[in-house]
Amino acid sequence: MKLSLETRALGWALLAVLFSLGGAWLLAGSIKIMDGSNSVLMTRTSPEQSFAIINSPEIVDQGHQFYEMSCSQCHGDDALGDEGPNLHNLSISNARIAATIKKGIKGEMPTFAKKYDDDQIAALVSYLRSLR
Amino acid sequence: MTIDPSLWPKLHGASTHFPMALAMAAALFDGLGFVWPRSSQRKAQLHAAGYFTIILGALGTFPAVLSGLFMTKGETLGHDALLFHHLFVWPAFAGLVGLGVWRALMDDRASPRSFAVYLAVLFLTAGLMAGAGYWGGELILNS
Repeated sequence: MKLSLETRALGWALLAVLFSLGGAWLLAGSIKIMDGSNSVLMTRTSPEQSFAIINSPEIVDQGHQFYEMSCSQCHGDDALGDEGPNLHNLSISNARIAATIKKGIKGEMPTFAKKYDDDQIAALVSYLRSLR
Repeated sequence: MTIDPSLWPKLHGASTHFPMALAMAAALFDGLGFVWPRSSQRKAQLHAAGYFTIILGALGTFPAVLSGLFMTKGETLGHDALLFHHLFVWPAFAGLVGLGVWRALMDDRASPRSFAVYLAVLFLTAGLMAGAGYWGGELILNS
């Protein structure tokens, strides 16, 4: 049976879609695995580093960028609260802030453990600490 | 080696507008070429423009998707605006790749009926790209 050119082109197009989507999903999985292994390594080599706060303007600025990307949607552009609570003058420890960002709050706040590594969470905490 | 965390958002922003614009341009050129009243050089030119823009648009989706995946650390769905962005992105990506390959192989040899189906899918894909762009903008402006 000889297939028409249109049918063959459609077959190739579907194959290309399958490979492209499959490739994207495989790449996404690989990135997640690489990211996860980096975080584990970081925790093993320097357990205290996770919550170490460096108040350099660069780190705070980096934390601000992460805040804008992931947090301000719920906590407001100025972090004074919107759907989520006000984040100025937090009275909990740095470790607790970092743990909340990492693990989230069931039904209220998503987990960011896969999105940010320990250094990036520390930068976020540094930024939150700078809010007065 | 440490990669600047702002590199991927910058690359995503730099690469993502090309496939969006090219998909819409391809829909415009091929749509106009399809309804052009008579067979003429202008009609052929419109289809030629549609041919190249859809192929370039399909190729342009790869850097956009790659940079997006690295930017979100492999997140394929996410939540809130990112989820909506992805719900448009993946069908649009699939659509553009499929349309690009089909058009590259068929060139101007498709029957009018097949080309009409191609155009309908192309307009749908251009709409999905616009939706992906809208939610991408929401991610930046409201985050």
